[in-house]
Amino acid sequence: MIESVFLFPFVMGLVSLAAPAKSSRFVLAGTAAGHLLLTLMIWHASLSPLYPAFFTAAPEGLLILLVTSIIFVAISCYAFSYVIETKMAHARVFSCCMMLFLGTMSMVALSDHPIVLWIAIEATTLVSAPLIFIHRSKQALEATWKYVLICSVGIALALLGIFFITLAMDLGNIAGPLTFTSLNTVATRLDPVWLKAGFVFIVIGFGTKMGLAPMHTWLPDAHSEAPSPASALLSGALLNCAFLGIYKTHVLMNSAGLGDFSGSVLVGFGLCSMLVGAVFIVGQPDYKRMLAYSSIENMGIISFGVGIGGLALYGAFIHLIHHSLLKSSLFLSAGNILLGFGTKQAGRIGGIIHSLPRTFVSFFAGFVGLCGLPPFGMFVSEIMVVIGAIRGHWYVSVVLFVFALILAVAGCGRVFMAMSFGEATTAAGLGEKPLRFIPAYALLLTSLVLCFWMPETVYVTIIDSIKMIGGIHG
Amino acid sequence: MINFADFILVLILLSVLLSLGSTRLMALVKIMALQGVMVSVTPLFLNSHEIPDGGAALFYLVMIFIKGALIPVLLYWAVKRVSIKREIEPIVGYHASIVTGLAVLLGSVFIVNSLHLSLPEGRSFALITANSTLAAGFFLMMARRKAITQVIGYLMLENGIYLIGTALTKRSHTIYIVEFGVLLDLLVGVMIMGIILNNINTAFDDIDTTLLGQLKD
Amino acid sequence: MEKYILLCLVLLAAPLFPGIILKTKAFFAGKKGPPLLIKYYTLAKLLRKCSVYSTSTTFVFRLGPTVGFGSALLVLSFFPFGGVEPLFSFHGDVIALFYILGTGRFFTVVAALDTASPFEGMGAAREVFFSTIAELTIFTVLILFCRINGSLSFSEYFLGDNPVSLVDPSGALLVLVIVSMFMVMLTECSRVPVDDPATHLELTMIHEVMILDHSGPDLALIELASFYKLFFYSAFIVHLIYPFSAGAGLLNGIIFTTLMVLIYGAIGVVESITARFRMNLVPQFVLTSFALVFFAAILTMGVFQ
Repeated sequence: MIESVFLFPFVMGLVSLAAPAKSSRFVLAGTAAGHLLLTLMIWHASLSPLYPAFFTAAPEGLLILLVTSIIFVAISCYAFSYVIETKMAHARVFSCCMMLFLGTMSMVALSDHPIVLWIAIEATTLVSAPLIFIHRSKQALEATWKYVLICSVGIALALLGIFFITLAMDLGNIAGPLTFTSLNTVATRLDPVWLKAGFVFIVIGFGTKMGLAPMHTWLPDAHSEAPSPASALLSGALLNCAFLGIYKTHVLMNSAGLGDFSGSVLVGFGLCSMLVGAVFIVGQPDYKRMLAYSSIENMGIISFGVGIGGLALYGAFIHLIHHSLLKSSLFLSAGNILLGFGTKQAGRIGGIIHSLPRTFVSFFAGFVGLCGLPPFGMFVSEIMVVIGAIRGHWYVSVVLFVFALILAVAGCGRVFMAMSFGEATTAAGLGEKPLRFIPAYALLLTSLVLCFWMPETVYVTIIDSIKMIGGIHG
Repeated sequence: MINFADFILVLILLSVLLSLGSTRLMALVKIMALQGVMVSVTPLFLNSHEIPDGGAALFYLVMIFIKGALIPVLLYWAVKRVSIKREIEPIVGYHASIVTGLAVLLGSVFIVNSLHLSLPEGRSFALITANSTLAAGFFLMMARRKAITQVIGYLMLENGIYLIGTALTKRSHTIYIVEFGVLLDLLVGVMIMGIILNNINTAFDDIDTTLLGQLKD
Repeated sequence: MEKYILLCLVLLAAPLFPGIILKTKAFFAGKKGPPLLIKYYTLAKLLRKCSVYSTSTTFVFRLGPTVGFGSALLVLSFFPFGGVEPLFSFHGDVIALFYILGTGRFFTVVAALDTASPFEGMGAAREVFFSTIAELTIFTVLILFCRINGSLSFSEYFLGDNPVSLVDPSGALLVLVIVSMFMVMLTECSRVPVDDPATHLELTMIHEVMILDHSGPDLALIELASFYKLFFYSAFIVHLIYPFSAGAGLLNGIIFTTLMVLIYGAIGVVESITARFRMNLVPQFVLTSFALVFFAAILTMGVFQ
């Protein structure tokens, strides 16, 4: 039963609430390992859904599940040390919410029924809210309030969109079950007007969660105020889950022959997010906020690539994988810097190369990857998106796309360089511990390896996920 | 004979208008309780020829309990804890709010009439009510400063969306376990919001959302 | 013949009902309360005395109570209580009647101004202000009824071929009208939460401050007029709730009386559980009642064509 992949973290999360506070981090690490095991079992197709009406192992879901699981293993190792070193006051709640968060995200990845998908995405908001305000500072409270309220309202609109799709079903006199799989087979009979309306609402709703501009306002606050392991998880895994909701609907639109409409909408939102993200990166004094804006920009790239289709679509999926790996690695490094220097202001930090040399390696390597430079995977994916867009004759969009990328690189470069090599300031805080830099290294290494050698099964899964909208040559 | 479905929908509209004009938070909570019950029973009356079976009956009972009792009690506790009785300076005044309520209703009537949906008897009025509830919920979230009123606005929005779902779709799609999941999300959402509210109140000595403006670029 | 007897019954019974409000309020306060017939005793007491007139007042002051009483009386004679044909009826009588009520108020106000007391002028200003906005609600109700029923007279509203009532297929809208008429009733008849007849401070009074200088039989007439007015509004709401078919004599009477008792009881409950509004909240209250009726009016155009 594939449902075990989200039921297991749920159960463990509740167990860790009951267990003594000191053991909760062991439970967390154990859950991460168990989850990875279950995920691999699903990949080998040795588990089948118990409730096929609600859950299925769709290729795009599997991909996101695997990425989530790998990142979570790295983050749980980091958190293992982080919880003790920072003497976190509510370690038990933290571990419990991390596990529930993992569970809800896995549920998103496997959902096939639109409303179940909606329930799971809304649940991710609710279980991750305590993670953000675990420090109980005024800023953290503000960030959490915005996060919960904006995301809840946004996601409520997505529910409206799902109701519109149901109406499109009724108007087309379709009696089959309400699942993405079965809807794709009868898509041409759906009422096109209401399907379009449903898609727009779903993009606005899940787009809020995914961080598409102009609905992104919660994202920088939440990502910068959350403790670093949680930020890494939010940025590396949660945004993908919201993207999955949009992607599944986009596939449905394509099956119904409305791919052009949904593609243009996604390209529009994608470009808007890229530009907004890039503009705010330039001159951003807070490095965690800068990383958050970079996530917005990268979500824009993914949405842009998916909207264009063909090679760009393949590129978008590659980008999704590499963005998750690199960005969570960067947030973990940023966590080390925050622990070391005790400030989030980039201007008050300098000379990381001297004071935190090991963190410097992962931080700077992450920067290189984030800028889309080889040897990291974002280089490949961004090239693919650009080529795909040129093939599709989206010339103006390509210009804007490249402009946003350059702006982002320039903005990031200034901050990263000053922080790494600038005038040295003393790192008075905690030093470096192996458990806090090895996970970041591991994530970077994964990205590096995937760039040169991608396992056959991953490649096949990506191709399967984009087969519905014309595949790589579409 | 008296048309119960319309009767209930009119009561929902009444609760929407009263909530726009009410100054006291406690009154708002009571209005929300009434609205919750009315929204929960609407599907029963819209489809009065169908007798709900065991599962459905249980679901409706749970829904009435959650929307009509549990959530209002949570809100009631929140209002008690933060000991704020009324909204002193709303961003949009009460007279303007009521007039907005009228505009919203006018707008939804216009929208529903221009959609030309061939809905079954009574559904178009349900759709008008739903649209108004949704829009009024949005308005309440934007036009008030206190965090708790925004939670109430969110609830109203959610009620509106549920009503739209009821009005638009056939019951054959309804799987009660799924609907129950939606309901559970709502309940947990309100609980989480309540907890954050309480923390905001201890940290800032107020639940005024204008105080929450430190994080910006 | 029936209608003459009925009108006499109504005129005699009207002072009985406010006793119910007092009883309800006493119940909520955990007290025994005054006897049900208290208003009769008060009237009898007032009628036994003689009126005192200030030397600075003119004939206008003496005219006020009489005209006010006359207007209330006239209105009752047009209303089909319990489904019995009213004494008089003509097309468009509702508009005339609400203006007759307005005339009564005008003379009360003029009488108050005639005393040249600063408090009375203040009360008069408030009274006129609030009833001006309440008029908006009342006339929207009339427009709405005209759309539903196509007529402009009380007897046709409630006795015609197509009576306005809650039980009608499109009657659900009347819930809004009933609530807003209840609010208008509280405003027009000076009840809590708009006005408090039992208040002690002239500064916070609305209606009561205008009649401070009246005494004896004059005061009795004013009181009686206010009972009639309250009775009229309550009967209006009762007819919206239940359609009285003509000819079911005694049964109609019983239902009518029961519903009237319930309405007065509801007033008592409202008075017990709400506090008086601050003066600046009253316009909002009245405006809400207008908004409700306007809601209903929009809906008749949109859905219930």
